[in-house]
Amino acid sequence: MSQTTPPREPTNMSRSATEARKQPPPESPQSIWLRRAVMASFWAVAVFIGLPIWWKTTAIYRADLPLQDMTAWANAKVCKPVFPLRIAVVDAPLPPHDAHHLLRTTQYALDDLNDFSTHHLRLTLREMPASAPANASQQVVVDGVGEPADDGTVALYVRLIPVETGPTPRSQLQPYSATLDVYYSPNQMPSPSSTSSLLATYIARELHGIYAEERAQLAYLLSRAAGSHAAESSSLSPEVAAQLQRQSARAFKYAPTYHLTFSLFTPTSTPSAWDIEAALRQYMHPILESFASITNFTIDTQVQLYASFSPSIRQPEYDADAKAWTIHKEDLSGFINAAEWPLSPSIGKGPTINFALYIPDRDQSPLFVQGSRDNTWLVPQWGGVMILNPPPDQMASATLTKEALAPAMQAFSTQLNALLGLPQTPASLPLRISTLTRVHTASLIFSASSTLGALAQVYQKMPSIPVPDSVAQSVNQSLTHLQQACDCLRDGRFQAALENARVADGEAEKAFFERSMVGQVYFPDEHKVAVYLPLLGPVAVPLVMAALKEVKSLVAALKGR
Amino acid sequence: MLSFLSFLLCNALIACAFAGSDYHERLLLRPLPQSTLLASFNFRSNESSVTYEQQNFRLFPRSLGQILQHAHTKELHLRFSVGRWDAENWGQRPWYGAREGSNGVELWAWIEANTEDEAFSRWLTLVNNLSGLFCASLNFIDATKTIRPVISFDPEGDHASTSNLHLLHGTLPHEVVCTENLTPFLKLLPCKGKAGISSLLDGHKLFDAAFQTMALDVRPVCETPGENCIVEMEQTVDMVLDIARSKRPRDNPIPRPLPIEEIECDTSKPYNAPDTCYPLDKRTEPAWNLTEVFGKSLKGACPLTATEGPESETLCINTPPERTIQVNTTGQYTESLSASDTLRCYKLPTGAEFDLVLPEQRMTTGLVRGEPHLYAARSINGHGQERGSVQVVIKNPSTTDPVEFAYLESLPWFMKPYLHTIRVNVPTSTEDPLKETYYRPAVDRVRGTHLELRLVVPPASTLTLTYDFEKAILRYTEYPPDANRGFDAPPAVIRILGPFQSADRKGLYLRTTPLLLSLPTPDFSMPYNVIILTSTVMALGFGNIFNLLVRRLVGADEVPEVAGGLKGIVQGKIQWLMGLFGKHQKSE
Repeated sequence: MSQTTPPREPTNMSRSATEARKQPPPESPQSIWLRRAVMASFWAVAVFIGLPIWWKTTAIYRADLPLQDMTAWANAKVCKPVFPLRIAVVDAPLPPHDAHHLLRTTQYALDDLNDFSTHHLRLTLREMPASAPANASQQVVVDGVGEPADDGTVALYVRLIPVETGPTPRSQLQPYSATLDVYYSPNQMPSPSSTSSLLATYIARELHGIYAEERAQLAYLLSRAAGSHAAESSSLSPEVAAQLQRQSARAFKYAPTYHLTFSLFTPTSTPSAWDIEAALRQYMHPILESFASITNFTIDTQVQLYASFSPSIRQPEYDADAKAWTIHKEDLSGFINAAEWPLSPSIGKGPTINFALYIPDRDQSPLFVQGSRDNTWLVPQWGGVMILNPPPDQMASATLTKEALAPAMQAFSTQLNALLGLPQTPASLPLRISTLTRVHTASLIFSASSTLGALAQVYQKMPSIPVPDSVAQSVNQSLTHLQQACDCLRDGRFQAALENARVADGEAEKAFFERSMVGQVYFPDEHKVAVYLPLLGPVAVPLVMAALKEVKSLVAALKGR
Repeated sequence: MLSFLSFLLCNALIACAFAGSDYHERLLLRPLPQSTLLASFNFRSNESSVTYEQQNFRLFPRSLGQILQHAHTKELHLRFSVGRWDAENWGQRPWYGAREGSNGVELWAWIEANTEDEAFSRWLTLVNNLSGLFCASLNFIDATKTIRPVISFDPEGDHASTSNLHLLHGTLPHEVVCTENLTPFLKLLPCKGKAGISSLLDGHKLFDAAFQTMALDVRPVCETPGENCIVEMEQTVDMVLDIARSKRPRDNPIPRPLPIEEIECDTSKPYNAPDTCYPLDKRTEPAWNLTEVFGKSLKGACPLTATEGPESETLCINTPPERTIQVNTTGQYTESLSASDTLRCYKLPTGAEFDLVLPEQRMTTGLVRGEPHLYAARSINGHGQERGSVQVVIKNPSTTDPVEFAYLESLPWFMKPYLHTIRVNVPTSTEDPLKETYYRPAVDRVRGTHLELRLVVPPASTLTLTYDFEKAILRYTEYPPDANRGFDAPPAVIRILGPFQSADRKGLYLRTTPLLLSLPTPDFSMPYNVIILTSTVMALGFGNIFNLLVRRLVGADEVPEVAGGLKGIVQGKIQWLMGLFGKHQKSE
């Protein structure tokens, strides 16, 4: 090293150039090394302590998210929703052996019919109480109270009723309970040796038919969700798919509470009151009660006088042929004058479904929608509208009676069913509502999964947004509940699945729309550097210059050696 | 005095009327001195408390009803005001102060809750929702602007139990009330400004008035305790219009002098030219009509009001009997005179326009105005950025009765009063006028000062209340965008406790004007300056120490004279330049 042979050559040369000047004594190797050590320690402190502390303290906080799980859910790799429906055959006045055989053959027939593996019907047998004689069960059927107690996992009861008269086999779906009555003549029972029978095939076909719309809806949902299910959706014809898309575009997203707002609008001062309370009690409450198992409703009503049309739509025109006033079909979208009519959403959680009843001016009555006598229409995901032309004798009265409101209430209840996404078949209301439960569960699971996927993408693509701990908590909650919902589905506990799916979706939305992540002004790293430049610059310059100088002298020393 | 009596009677009449229709409205016009006109609009909508609870809203607006139910608010009072009521000229306030606010927005409500914390969280819900409904910044009423008054307010409605009702009060003196607040206010009315007296309300004229106040009051009213209850919503709009100013057309609003022929000149003075004139004060009452003054025409009666009886007379004018009033309408109307003919009331036609025309007239009987019970003025004294003092002057005009009143002050936390400096001074009396004090001191950034005093002012004397305060220095981010304008301190509320009593439960009030408090305002580029200054100091320190440690120290004569370095380069360049210059000079 240089300490043994200090460079003499350059010193000699300079001495020869300026003879008179005094030279500083040569630096001792210790002082050179001391200087280098001082600089190295400065650099070490700056690089290993200063910079990391600065970077850490000015960095934004990003909680750790289970990105892999989130992406896996979004790609539908974790849970394949299945819908095993238990169908109980009850009160079969048959010896157990025959009953089991019938069940087996029917199950074969069902499995043959089913081409959609996600949705699966599983038949079970409910033994009738041993003490009850065979004819007693007949009695129960007549009473219509033969609903056996169960644990809530049975989707449909099938009652086998032997009859002598009438065409057999025939079936009847009870409109207000989840029961299918199958009438058969005793000779149609499958013989123990045969693997199929007319009765078994008939029951299988009936059951398959009952769940046809549900299968279509679920298949449609699966096809819309990303992932591996796309192949299965090919069974849907384009017409059915379009129909289902229309339906799902109309319906509200599932919520545990909906607010129903009934509003009476009139461009004049009459009618200024309506017998809405009685009308709601008679026409609306029964429907709402049937929904009580899956959702709650709040109802409020209002009367709004002097409600004028929005200036953007054409005024009604008189149609001399029909002796009526008409408004154009294309103006219906602007019929609701959102700026003037007070249709603000109700306070509280949950969406508001609006039902607007419009009573036209007496000078413009009767008022019809052009090209139809049907004066109701549905505004997707908003509510329903009806133009009611009161009967001439009630035209001048200040109060609309319950009878005058009847057509409006009937129209609104139909619209409510459509807005809630209730399927049109089968005829039994409990079955339709339980179908709705399953469809909602599926759609909530898909929506929560895709929200989580989107959040994971945002997290990865935008490194400069802050992610607080509450987001991580919500994501974890959402994942837990998603898993539970999926497990419940597999066990056939659809009510619990819906509950879990709803929580999961709520938490996922909460995480995605976290306030500190949305609408925040992000400070990019360049900004951070710019703010601290007045400190970093003056500190860095002496450090760098000294380091350069030292490197130079080191290089010179090495060269000189 | 007659006119005043009738005025009282008219208000009492409005207040007492209950039975009959569920919707009432009345407009009272009253000419004031100096060619001004007071217009008092009053609208009341009733909803039975049963249908109100069931949310079947008919006359009560659904938007407001839902907010009140959601926030468990049993009684609500809201004021939007602009301008100052000039009591010296205009006399008694139209509703004795019970419906008039002072500048800005004021809100107080009785909220049902089990605990104070629950009440406060419901209060926040209420202000946030009302903020959206009325397009006002009510959501800025937070803990620092909320107080719980003790003696200044009593509930107006009939409440089943008052034990779990909490009174909360908040003020926004800086809020600018404008058209966007009037539009939702009108939408709450069943006739929506399309018929009835509300069709006269126009934002341009209302907010051009010398004084205007809008009030919304919701209270439960029971015929007998706990039975037949209704929820009453009362909306009032009071405005004092300058007739000459209001009559100016909207498209040509610049005031122009009258042609000289129309000006009455002082003929006792000498004139040197025919086009000069010393104008005389006009002794005549100006001519006006409704359409001109309000800028809109009155579109008949609102069909929801009662069709007969005194309730159906929705437009009243309070003038001396000799004043000529012509009615201009195509529909059926009736006119009735009451209270010694100083009050004329009209039942408006339905569906036809209605106008009152008052010609210019020289009057022999003057306008009589009601004397207010008290006059109050409040101001900030002192100088500098650190301290100040507040002075309130309250005058009792009565020569016979001492007046007892409650004085409520809600101060922002950054204006810190010294309670020991409170001085109440009545020169004419030796008795201590200060009877009671309720005081809740401010906590920085958490709550404001709440000061409530019960005072008595003897007859025909003036009470002066002063106290000193200190101005706090705010944090950088706590300043509003227009920091140099100053901060508004809310108006003081004065409630007259005795001996005067109001005919109903509304109480007698007056409010002072808000105060403008200037606080020391920092230079807002300060943070950047601080960063740069601190960084420079740190860098200097660092550079020195670093250099001391790293540099090699040698004797002054041992420094090698190198051509390198900045100095050497610059010297070399200068020499080269001088050499070049010298050469040029030589060659020339």
